[in-house]
Amino acid sequence: MLPEPFTPAFLTQLETLRLRTRKEFLGSHPGSYSSPRRGTSLEFADYRRYSPGDDLRYLDWGIYARSDRLYIKLFREEVDLFAYVFIDASASMLFPSRAEKFLPASHVALALAYVVLANHDHVKLHLLQDPPPSAASPFYRGRRRMTECVEFAASAKPAGQLDLAPALGEHLKRLRRPGKAILISDFLMPAPSYQQGLNVLRGFNLDIVAIQVLSRQEVDPAFPNGNLALVDSESQAEFQYRWDTGARQSYRTRLAHHNSEIRSFCHQSGIHYSLYVTDRDLKDFVFATLPAIGLFK
Amino acid sequence: MEFLNPSALYGLVALPLLLIPYLIRRKPQRIIFSSLLLLTEYDASARHRPWGRLRLPPAFFLQLLLLTLLILALAEPVLSVRPTHIAIVLDNSASMQTVEDGKTRFVLAQERARSLVADLSVNGRVELYRTVPRLEKIRATPFSPSEAAGAIGALEPYDLGDHVIDYDQVLNELMREQKYERVYLITDHPVSGQGEKIRALSVGSPQANIALLAFQARRASLANAQLEATVEVANFSAKQEKIKVLLRGSGTLLQSRELVIAAGKSAEASFSGFGAHPYYEAEIDVRDALPLDNRAFAVAPTAATLRILAVSPRPQALASLGAIPGVKLDLISPTDYEKAARSGYGLEIFHFATPASLPQTPALFVLPPDANALVDLGTPIARTVVSGWRDPHPLTRYVNFSLFRPTYARPLKPQAAGDVIFESPQGPLVFAIERRGVRHLVLGFDPFPYLGRGNLPMSIFTLNFLDWFFESAGRRGTASGEPLSLGVSRQGDLMITPRGEKISLDPGANYFAGTFLQGIYQLRRSGENQLFAVNFQNANESDLRAPAPIAMKGATQGGGGAEAFFSYWPYLLLASLLVLIIEWFIFPRMASLGARVRSGRVA
Repeated sequence: MLPEPFTPAFLTQLETLRLRTRKEFLGSHPGSYSSPRRGTSLEFADYRRYSPGDDLRYLDWGIYARSDRLYIKLFREEVDLFAYVFIDASASMLFPSRAEKFLPASHVALALAYVVLANHDHVKLHLLQDPPPSAASPFYRGRRRMTECVEFAASAKPAGQLDLAPALGEHLKRLRRPGKAILISDFLMPAPSYQQGLNVLRGFNLDIVAIQVLSRQEVDPAFPNGNLALVDSESQAEFQYRWDTGARQSYRTRLAHHNSEIRSFCHQSGIHYSLYVTDRDLKDFVFATLPAIGLFK
Repeated sequence: MEFLNPSALYGLVALPLLLIPYLIRRKPQRIIFSSLLLLTEYDASARHRPWGRLRLPPAFFLQLLLLTLLILALAEPVLSVRPTHIAIVLDNSASMQTVEDGKTRFVLAQERARSLVADLSVNGRVELYRTVPRLEKIRATPFSPSEAAGAIGALEPYDLGDHVIDYDQVLNELMREQKYERVYLITDHPVSGQGEKIRALSVGSPQANIALLAFQARRASLANAQLEATVEVANFSAKQEKIKVLLRGSGTLLQSRELVIAAGKSAEASFSGFGAHPYYEAEIDVRDALPLDNRAFAVAPTAATLRILAVSPRPQALASLGAIPGVKLDLISPTDYEKAARSGYGLEIFHFATPASLPQTPALFVLPPDANALVDLGTPIARTVVSGWRDPHPLTRYVNFSLFRPTYARPLKPQAAGDVIFESPQGPLVFAIERRGVRHLVLGFDPFPYLGRGNLPMSIFTLNFLDWFFESAGRRGTASGEPLSLGVSRQGDLMITPRGEKISLDPGANYFAGTFLQGIYQLRRSGENQLFAVNFQNANESDLRAPAPIAMKGATQGGGGAEAFFSYWPYLLLASLLVLIIEWFIFPRMASLGARVRSGRVA
């Protein structure tokens, strides 16, 4: 039994989507994604001189008629896709509650995983936690494995403080096949930290999508005016503030600036980026926002 | 400007307490947030401050102003109007000798008095009063300010305790009768509720003190020539003290004892087996606030004999007393009593007689006539039987009451407070009174003549009461301020005070009243020296922890001149009311109006 947003209608809609990759990967099975290798797809790739033993069905008779030379038509190989979904499972993903942040984040991850599964591609879920143990699922293939994906995401227990680059590095050490990497996090970390993390993914030649998930409380904190002792959910550090209209406005400005820095870095690095505020409808986000950034074909 | 109630100014010290509710109110609410990354960058300066940035609202300053005005109003600020005719009442009791930071309270009081005098104009008049031995004027005519400063310097404290004086009434009467513009009382007692014209200035603060409360030197008993002494020391402090008590004879150290005295308690040290000296001095070896009560004096029992003055219409009945060893008897008739020189007697016996007034010496009254101040007598008892007696008691020691059979007895009906020593079924037979160390004994039967073994129970009783009186004769000391009984003085008699002043005694004077100092007084009479020990023994005065407060009602009637003060406090009260109205009514409304205006602008 799948959780609430994954209704049959929603799943049917998801089945219509296919992830788009900007890179070519070597797949393991025939699929629908381009491979750098030549193969037997319908998509023409190149010509080469005929040599004895070549299949005569691929001779380009038109060229032969014009030039009296024999050329063989080459086609792209189409292979399946390996997708890696990294979900931030640090303590900050529980703010203000699991249902208001981590669950929506995992729903985005599951929706994208289902898109992959529905296309008979491979998907693997990773939970980013620091310190280890960070959990990773096996590769799933086929839409019937969606239940296992849901169970894996539900089993996550966000906690601790996340240092993105080392946590990703731990997972990437065990990756053998390049593919599509989808990183879902709140990115509430210093710029050098998330930049190093994304660079680690880039270093593995992955086609990267970064989805920033924030709760409404984080976008527009509803603190009472006055002196507050704010406690960092990850480090437990406590700081004293006088919260008022000015402080609220300043926070909003800084958050907008922080998000624009992430967006800018992703743009410069060839990474798809999108912001998902969790009080927004998931379907709207998946079917309107994500296609807009070119995530789907 | 002066303050009539300056103690209220201590309230200013408590003003910072007003911050507490604001600090408590500011205690930050604790909220968990996903990440403080953006917030710490926002206000790094506010980090790690326990109370954040302290911003006090304007209401705080209004409340501060309100409290300050109220405290100032309570302190009753006044603008003094310069007086020209004032009286200064200087407390010169013994406690004014207490040392405060190297100066005695009396010196501090003198300084205050001099500063008051210095404030007067050249034409001002000052009258000086002291409080002991009685509230009296130093000089009949007023002093000029310059004379007064000198007279204040010449004053000195006496070794006398305070008298019970209703200062409120007495000073008001002085003010009315003498038409003073202002009366100042300078004392070491706390004073409350002073008026505009009668002002009290307090000097000194509560202190701990160790005091020598009593010192006696005596012979062990009538038959025992050995000397013994007891010293009682009180600890008027909040902690246990270990002190050394020294006994000196004519200035030479004889013996010493160590005493451990619990806080607020007293302890007694005993000395015995020391040699005979003309006088003895006990001293406690401590450095405390009041040195005066660290010493006490006693004169040695004058002789090993008990001198008895017997007053009787039938002297022959008492003559046999002279046969008792250690007893020296003088017999006179009642009519000669008033004319007789009565000094030096350890006991006066009134046998079927009574004096016009009770003597200040130990006395035995045997079947006193009616109309005496001590007892009434009942009807004679036919066959006297003793049915009850005090035991143990020095008077009943070794007496076999089954054989005690006075031939004639009348039951006593005591008219004064005392102890019944023994009684018959018809009423008390022996009644003892002890007042301020002086013992009186009234007998409802006649124990005389002294028959020795001929009437053993009565003889034992006789020896008992002689011993009892002898013991009290040794204990009798004179407290400072009490007169010394001298007998009839003659021309050329001198009294030498402890300071060595020689005072000629008026011929015919029976008493010397100027015992204002503690120490040994010498009576020089006919080439002979008689010593008297005068001690300051006043536990109330020695207890410096909490002097009795003087309450002044503050209402002054009469007096001379214009108003002494211009009072500010009603104006301060009015101002504080105004601030209260602003703080309570106007300020919140203005604040809410301002908020509305701001929100309108934002909209």
